[in-house]
Amino acid sequence: MEPEDRGDPAPRKTQAGAPPANWGLAFDLAFRLGIAVILGLGGGLLLDGWLRTSPIFTLIGMVLGIAAAMYTIWDVARGSMRR
Amino acid sequence: MPEEEAGESLIHVVIKAEVLFNIGPFEVTNSMVGAVLAAFVLLAAATYFEGRAKTVPSRMQSLIELPIEYMARLTEGSTSRWRGYVALVVGLFLMILVSNWLGLLPGVGTIGIVHGEELIPLVRPAAADLNFSLALAIVTFVVFVWWAIRVNGPIGYLKELVGEPRYMAPLMFPIHLISEVSRLVSLSMRLFGNVFAGEVLLATMLGLTTAAVFVLPLAFFVPAIFLVLELLFGAVQALVFALLAMTYITMAIAEHEGGHGSDDTEHEPTPQEHHAPSPA
Repeated sequence: MEPEDRGDPAPRKTQAGAPPANWGLAFDLAFRLGIAVILGLGGGLLLDGWLRTSPIFTLIGMVLGIAAAMYTIWDVARGSMRR
Repeated sequence: MPEEEAGESLIHVVIKAEVLFNIGPFEVTNSMVGAVLAAFVLLAAATYFEGRAKTVPSRMQSLIELPIEYMARLTEGSTSRWRGYVALVVGLFLMILVSNWLGLLPGVGTIGIVHGEELIPLVRPAAADLNFSLALAIVTFVVFVWWAIRVNGPIGYLKELVGEPRYMAPLMFPIHLISEVSRLVSLSMRLFGNVFAGEVLLATMLGLTTAAVFVLPLAFFVPAIFLVLELLFGAVQALVFALLAMTYITMAIAEHEGGHGSDDTEHEPTPQEHHAPSPA
């Protein structure tokens, strides 16, 4: 069905659609925290296996993964507040 | 067999989709059949209602329009460019919803080809195969990166990945990259994990209750409760996937609309903007 044309130039931010979108973000955040660490660690392990430099890249990857998880929290919170 | 749940389960559960037949080098799996069936159901519904949609809808038309309207209204409230991605969000929602619910129909998972002592089901819920959920996640990923590049420009997008101040780039670039890729993995793994877990749960419940022959009515009652729950979870997973796709695109656009982008030339006014009075 065609949405009503109310003549407002900006999206209707106060519409009832906001809470479900935030629920989706909440579902997502828990997954992304774990996945960021796994990706960093996995990447580090792969690089170490490839370059035979164990455990340097594994440690760097783990630190970057944890940092990426922390950054993700900040990024999602910033995005949610902006919207 | 390690993949089988609950011993002599009536429903066959393996983590990998099983090959039914080959077309040349191309393997056709039972989850592909599930995905094609879901697509066929959607196409058939669209074809049927295309010429029959009325201004005052019938009950059936209202029922079909309900999820579409709901998702369209949610998307409408996201950004001023919602028309550019509403079709993708609604399409993802409907595809996942139909493929999840198809998996609950009688015969899915129980009718198949007997291969040795194993039954290979003809149809498997598409999202219970990681290939399907990964494919949808890749499409979503490509679209929101494309939107980010479209509103920020390629240089602007790279600048966002590199971050500020520039001398922190060697640290911030991998962090941003991991954060971006985690969206792709999160989208695909969540959908696959939930749908596959639902399959295992149903198989386990059916196996447990049919093993207890002396309480045979349980074999009908207990799986029925879990089937109803799976109906709900199927809808929730479709909603979550579509909402996250919308949220990622919204965030890519909102960064720009919030004044962080570098290129404002591509803004397409919506019909509302054409007719709108000054917002002052």
